[in-house]
Amino acid sequence: MVRLTDERAVWLGKEILPHEAALRLWLQHWKRRGLEVDDVIQEAYTRLIAADTIEHIKSPKRYLFQVAGSVVIDHLRRRKIVSVESVADMADLEIAATEPSPEREVIGRDELRQLAKAIAALPSRIRDVFVLRRVHGLGQREVAKRLGITESTVEKHMSRGFMLMTKLYGNGGNPSLHSSYESSACADKGNNGTQERS
Amino acid sequence: MERKSAHRIDQEAAQWAAKIDAGTLSKEAGAAFDAWLESDVRCPGAYARMRAVSLMTEQARALGTGFEAPLATPSSRRWFIAAGAVAAVLLATVGYHFAPSATEHYVSTIGEMKTIKLEDGSILTLNTQSEVTVHYTRTRRQLELIHGEAIFAVAKNKERPFVVTAGDTNVRAVGTSFSVSRVGAIKILVQEGTVEVGKNSTEASPALRVPHNSGAITQEGAASIRTFALSNAELYRDLAWRDGHLAFEGQTLAEAAAEFSRYSDMKIVILDKKLAAEEIAGRFRATDPIGFARNAAISLKAHAEVSGKEIRLSR
Repeated sequence: MVRLTDERAVWLGKEILPHEAALRLWLQHWKRRGLEVDDVIQEAYTRLIAADTIEHIKSPKRYLFQVAGSVVIDHLRRRKIVSVESVADMADLEIAATEPSPEREVIGRDELRQLAKAIAALPSRIRDVFVLRRVHGLGQREVAKRLGITESTVEKHMSRGFMLMTKLYGNGGNPSLHSSYESSACADKGNNGTQERS
Repeated sequence: MERKSAHRIDQEAAQWAAKIDAGTLSKEAGAAFDAWLESDVRCPGAYARMRAVSLMTEQARALGTGFEAPLATPSSRRWFIAAGAVAAVLLATVGYHFAPSATEHYVSTIGEMKTIKLEDGSILTLNTQSEVTVHYTRTRRQLELIHGEAIFAVAKNKERPFVVTAGDTNVRAVGTSFSVSRVGAIKILVQEGTVEVGKNSTEASPALRVPHNSGAITQEGAASIRTFALSNAELYRDLAWRDGHLAFEGQTLAEAAAEFSRYSDMKIVILDKKLAAEEIAGRFRATDPIGFARNAAISLKAHAEVSGKEIRLSR
């Protein structure tokens, strides 16, 4: 299996994730046919990153929608669901794919500001780890030492941090940020009082 | 086996992303990761998404080491950002501004390719064994290629010139994509847009304009710069390392071996002079010199033998 390159991953983050919110909206159509939005998105990304080259892609948004559309078709075929309604819904794809996305085109400083806000809004323990790792650039061992926790706990916090940050990048911004943080803050309370030593 | 929920897969992807972010995976972990990727068609995509987020958040380095977490309780969102020598500012509803921090240092190890998103949206891709420093001010974007090779995808900003120095050579860009390498000669390849290449010396002639599908080559200490044209195919080959590959078309086996030596500890040694001069072509994984050597051996009717850190090719 060819491993994902950083370059491809950054391309995904820069060119594809900004359109994920719009794609999620369009995929709502298919929930009544038994398709899970998250399943389709994950599988669409699997196909996206497997492409030999991305140099030729003129419209990443369109490309994303096309790939997601083919994932939907494959799912429907497997469940032997092909109806007139399906065809009509698929026609909407072209419209949704070429619609200009709402002005979420964050560039440079604006993006940095949004990132800073998202980090500040993280649950406290996760934020501590995230700031030391990402803003200060410290290694995992150093972070564990400074916070008096094990390296595996540092890793756990980072992974939760990533889960939360995908809401910033993948869901088109802030709206869902708070609700997901609340549920995560509850889960986090378990770790907040105790200090684990390695 | 019951089918996992997409949420569960996201959680596992995030765990892998955190593990990989912390450092290189051990052999066992690497095998477990590969097995997880193959366990479900949704895994590679979910992981790619988390990895993208992981890399995008690296931009946070630009917030500066004075960045502090909120001081107050969660109900209030006041917090401070300090950046280097610049005064701290309050991020509130009223307004804000902050300045980028002092010099950032980016280094890649042998065989490692690293992509970094900079504060202004520009993207820096480091090749094996490379080092770049980045110093952004309000009016200038200054970078230095200390050694190795890097690609610069520059975000357009006329008010903030983007300049890369490599030794005594400087490359100035406006909304373009180009690579600079400093492995022996100083070589610049322009993929998109136009750059201006100049030398830092008093007798130097004015900067040379180098458009896309062109390259420029110069030596440290020399005043002259030579430009040359590049087809799309050649550019694609020269920059294949971005995808973790090395592509050859007519280079000698010896040249290819030298290229591979940049990407791993394994050295390809060619014991036969005639064999070393043979021309080869093809696209290979940069961090797999053994695979390349075995492949070359088959096509050139030679024999490859791995011994310690050496791969010996003979006929």
